[in-house]
Amino acid sequence: MTSLAKVAIGSSAKVTLVNGTDPTAARLLEMGLTPGVNVKVVGTAPLGDPLELEVRGYRLSIRRTEAARVAISR
Amino acid sequence: MAPAAGSSGALTVALLGNPNTGKSSLFSALAGIPTRVGNYPGVTVEEKVGRFAYRGRSIDLIDLPGTYSLAPKSPDEVVAVKVLHGQMPGVAAPDCVVVVADATNLERNLYLASQVLELGLPTVVALTLGDVATEKGIRINVAELAKRLGCPVVRVVAPCREGIEALSEQILAAPGTSPPPPVGLEAQRAKVDSSHTLQAQEAIARYAWIEQVLAGVVHTSPTLTRSLNQQIDAVVTHRVWGTLVFAATMLGMFSSIFWLATPFMDLISAAVDRLADLARAWLPPGALASLLIDGVLAGVGGVVVFVPQIALLFFFIAILEGCGYLSRAAFLMDRLLVGVGLSGKSFIPLLSSFACAIPGIMAARTIENRRDRLLTIMLAPLMSCSARLPVYLLLCGAFVPNVPVGFSWLRLPALVLAAMYAVGVVVAAVVAWVLTRTLFRGPAQPFVMELPGWRWPRMEVVLERVREAAGSFLQNAGTLIIGVSVVVWALSSYPHNELSIDAEVEAQRAGMAAAVAALDAGGTPAAAKEREPLVEQLSALDTEEGMAAARRGAAQRQSFLGRAGRLIEPLVRPLGWDWRIGCAAIASFPAREVVLGTLGVIYNLGDVDAGAEEGSSALVRRLRAATWDGTNRKVFTLPVALSLMVFFALCAQCASTLVVIGRETGSWIWPLVSFTSMTLLAWLGAFATYQIGTALGW
Repeated sequence: MTSLAKVAIGSSAKVTLVNGTDPTAARLLEMGLTPGVNVKVVGTAPLGDPLELEVRGYRLSIRRTEAARVAISR
Repeated sequence: MAPAAGSSGALTVALLGNPNTGKSSLFSALAGIPTRVGNYPGVTVEEKVGRFAYRGRSIDLIDLPGTYSLAPKSPDEVVAVKVLHGQMPGVAAPDCVVVVADATNLERNLYLASQVLELGLPTVVALTLGDVATEKGIRINVAELAKRLGCPVVRVVAPCREGIEALSEQILAAPGTSPPPPVGLEAQRAKVDSSHTLQAQEAIARYAWIEQVLAGVVHTSPTLTRSLNQQIDAVVTHRVWGTLVFAATMLGMFSSIFWLATPFMDLISAAVDRLADLARAWLPPGALASLLIDGVLAGVGGVVVFVPQIALLFFFIAILEGCGYLSRAAFLMDRLLVGVGLSGKSFIPLLSSFACAIPGIMAARTIENRRDRLLTIMLAPLMSCSARLPVYLLLCGAFVPNVPVGFSWLRLPALVLAAMYAVGVVVAAVVAWVLTRTLFRGPAQPFVMELPGWRWPRMEVVLERVREAAGSFLQNAGTLIIGVSVVVWALSSYPHNELSIDAEVEAQRAGMAAAVAALDAGGTPAAAKEREPLVEQLSALDTEEGMAAARRGAAQRQSFLGRAGRLIEPLVRPLGWDWRIGCAAIASFPAREVVLGTLGVIYNLGDVDAGAEEGSSALVRRLRAATWDGTNRKVFTLPVALSLMVFFALCAQCASTLVVIGRETGSWIWPLVSFTSMTLLAWLGAFATYQIGTALGW
């Protein structure tokens, strides 16, 4: 099992799990990163962090530390 | 205070929605200019209420902060939930909730809508940005959506008032109705795999329900606009092009608040000066004239002069926010600021603070996270603002040797000037590092930010933003700043005793005459050189102007402020300063830009315009000639000039900034913390600079 932080730019993955029960985990889920959803990593900021994602038809930006909590399957 | 919303039979309507959904635009279209803007009691969450009438019925529209969810995690969400439940003191329970949903991003927007529908309050969904959705090839079957949601849905295009009438009709009809619980949501909850956390189960069920509601309701076809949107995004967030676009945008914005605001600020200063001249001509000279001119008028001028910068900065921020770039800017800069415990959203407020901390601190409103916002506000005054520049320029020009450093084009004064800017940034980074590990300790702040779609900014929203920022500054901070400036005027004008002023001026004359006589007796060439400025000062005393200047200097030295300067001399001695520099530093605590003028007054030059070539060179000559009382040892040496500059770089010498910090944080603790810590830092910095400089024999 790998995390969203390891997905190559331009590739898509399917979310399987968001780790934790803290407010950050809740926010990621509310923003639509729910188990089962397809996410595309569109790009990163010039310094490599944060990531730009496409999920549920909109663009979302999260840091790699948060992306590392999102488990995915390809 | 305006009457609480809901009084006098008005309907109370809450406007709720995700950020970036065109909610402000809808608010303006419905209610126009808000009747009340302030903070909810005890929290720094903005309360905005507008009143309008429809078909003879008054409606109070409460604009709730933009939220993604009703699960209370942030102060914004806590306020939204409290208002919806009618638990917010002073706010009537809403008769109707208007949920704003972005038609271009319905899937995520309906998450909040589904939570509101479950509350069972009378609900109307307003589908905003319908025109943008059409351009992007998104078609929505509004009637079918309303049927499936179980509440009225109105498509609105706020800027051209499309759908505003229909929405108002639905608002009037809604009170008393109760939408049924979302059909099928319970069924989805029952279906979710129970191995997930409770939070995850809830989110999965809601999104599954939303997918079910939207199936067949939303049709998307690829269009030119859609692909254009993606292309713009590809450029703007690109490693190279994105960085270039960002640098150009920031440079443009920064130079405009630095330069574009200047003519307006000059105009305001000139108008205030003109008024002062008029007042001087009309009023009999004396305490009243002095109070009105040097106290009140100077205070009003000192407030209004900030308005051009505030207005310009908020104009740019509102445009960047409106077109979706503000989030991209935060995205691009985030990595740089993570190291000191901040996020990319602090970049623009901190950058603006190099022009002036006041608009910078106000720009921190765009940071939703309380901790990050507070930390940004604490750091903003450490950025070297434009008021520090004249001090740096004068002291660098006068006391830093003009020698090349390494390259022939790189001169030491320029290097020192750059170092002064660096001092603020480096100290800010260290302060942030320390604060995030002490006072602001806590779990790392997540960075989960929507990058909204590209669209044209709405001019009425932009102008409303500017009006609101300038208005709240003038109303809330302005009155206090004027009060402070009157107090400072009193402290620097009293006690005022003509006899002792005469005595001091005469004592000075006698002292200088004796010194000249002593030098004449010596007769060396060095003595002749020292004699020159003394003679110049002596002969100045014989002119009317010179005498007036000397008397003003004596009056200032004898005032409470001047006495304070003498009192703190033991404190400023380790910085290499004499009591007169201490005096000038104390006098510039209310506003650092007065320091050159104060130095002029204290050194008996009268009101020099240090900005003008002539005034500046006269001041430089006087400063260069200044000696320690009773000796011929020069006051201003390189270490002293450097320590004075470092002090100015780090000190919170701006009452207006402190007042604005108080307003923006809603507490008097933070200005106090800012003031004490910065003064301490400034003293330590100046101390280290002087001691190291002296030890190295500069």
